[in-house]
Amino acid sequence: MHIPDAFIPIPQAALYWIIALIFIALSLRWARKEMKDDKIPLVAVLAAGIFAIQAINIPIPWGTSGHMMGAALAAIVLGSPFAAVFVLTLVLIVQGVLFGDGGLTVMGANIINMGVIGGFVGFYSYRALVPLFKNIYPAAFIAGWLSLFIAALVTAVEMAVAGTFPLELGLFSMGLYHAVIGVIEGGITAVAIYLIHTARPDIMAEPSGAVSS
Amino acid sequence: MIDDLFLIEKYAYRKSPVHTLDARVKIVVAFAAIIAIVAVPYSTMVYTVGAIFFIFCAVLWGLSGLSPVIYAQRLAMILPFGMFLIVFQIFFRNRYYETFTTIATLPFGIEIYAESVEFASILLVKFLVSVSFIILLSSTTKTQDLLEGAGRLGLPAEFTLVLGMMLRYLYVFGYMIRKMRQSLETRCFDPFDRSLPYRYRLEKLAYAVGTLFIRSYEQGERTYLAMLCRGYGRESHLYISKKPLMPRDWVFLSAGLLLAVATPVLVWTGIVSPG
Repeated sequence: MHIPDAFIPIPQAALYWIIALIFIALSLRWARKEMKDDKIPLVAVLAAGIFAIQAINIPIPWGTSGHMMGAALAAIVLGSPFAAVFVLTLVLIVQGVLFGDGGLTVMGANIINMGVIGGFVGFYSYRALVPLFKNIYPAAFIAGWLSLFIAALVTAVEMAVAGTFPLELGLFSMGLYHAVIGVIEGGITAVAIYLIHTARPDIMAEPSGAVSS
Repeated sequence: MIDDLFLIEKYAYRKSPVHTLDARVKIVVAFAAIIAIVAVPYSTMVYTVGAIFFIFCAVLWGLSGLSPVIYAQRLAMILPFGMFLIVFQIFFRNRYYETFTTIATLPFGIEIYAESVEFASILLVKFLVSVSFIILLSSTTKTQDLLEGAGRLGLPAEFTLVLGMMLRYLYVFGYMIRKMRQSLETRCFDPFDRSLPYRYRLEKLAYAVGTLFIRSYEQGERTYLAMLCRGYGRESHLYISKKPLMPRDWVFLSAGLLLAVATPVLVWTGIVSPG
């Protein structure tokens, strides 16, 4: 889902950068103020962990392999969508500058898709679904699925606006592929949260703990 | 991807005229070249600009003393998604052309257009050039130098501190994930083994993900506390010493910037034209 350079013209790419920078500034403020102390180092180290999590190859039924995005996981466990923005921004900078995975001019768009959309969709759908299911795991599953699926759709829309990929086919191919991959993202998010909840309930953010206990 | 980090860093530790250039000038030139090639409008102009940029990149790669095989390996790693987007272009009409000429008709009414093939090749050139500069930059510059270079170029202290922490722990988690993988292998667990139920395999991987999350969180807690003990506070930042640019850095910087800016302008005005 990492858009490479050249697929979004400079003026649009600049606009995405500006929006992304606003969210990055907000996420820095979150790490300073909303976490109990000024826990910026903790989140920075966790970003390296999410990078490692993305390196785990996960088998996909028809034979290839995929990997996690982790935005929903980070947002749910740390209890804020800004956690995902923070973590995914760092991950995308490293992927873009060191590996060339995802372009530099389009990094703003990639941060919006995976960090902002992934984090906000993941976090708020989880929040909305927990009271509905009275159980955090199905909520985490759907949140993980949605975070990936919606992010993929937004990517397709951005490419269509840029004029480099037709809308219908983009929505269809990106949507279909990520709807399947999303099941894995959702499943792993739910099981990982189960594990974290069992092993370190203290690090889970409030709403989950309150409902399941 | 994290496994390749060790390899990339190993290449970056070699010595060559390109490696010893200051990180700042390499960052500026690479970014300028990428922005320039992206900024060139979607037209056949891209071929000439792209060719000149690519030769520039290839010369630098040659000077760095790294094998072309390394370049090819790194390129192969990042191609898939871009290539997917490029290959499918040939079947679509896009808004950058007025008329479309069909050059081939496939079953199910799928057509291939000459203009779309041209558009796909333009995207390919732009994509390859920008990716090549990133490969060159990260293969010839240590991550710590990149970070300090970015700091000296004016990246805010909040970011250098955070990025610096992340980069350091990437290597720690790189080793950690390698160990986790080895312990899964030692227990004869292969996530791609089709004789095991799919659910079971996913469940085990999910536990690995959860464990990694907890371990990195706990490492974060320890690091945070250790930093507090050493006086971490709101005003903490990564210490970056002042470092003047050498004359050779200035030469490279001006040559690189001149090339990145002049090439598209000259090609656009028609002073440099193919053939």
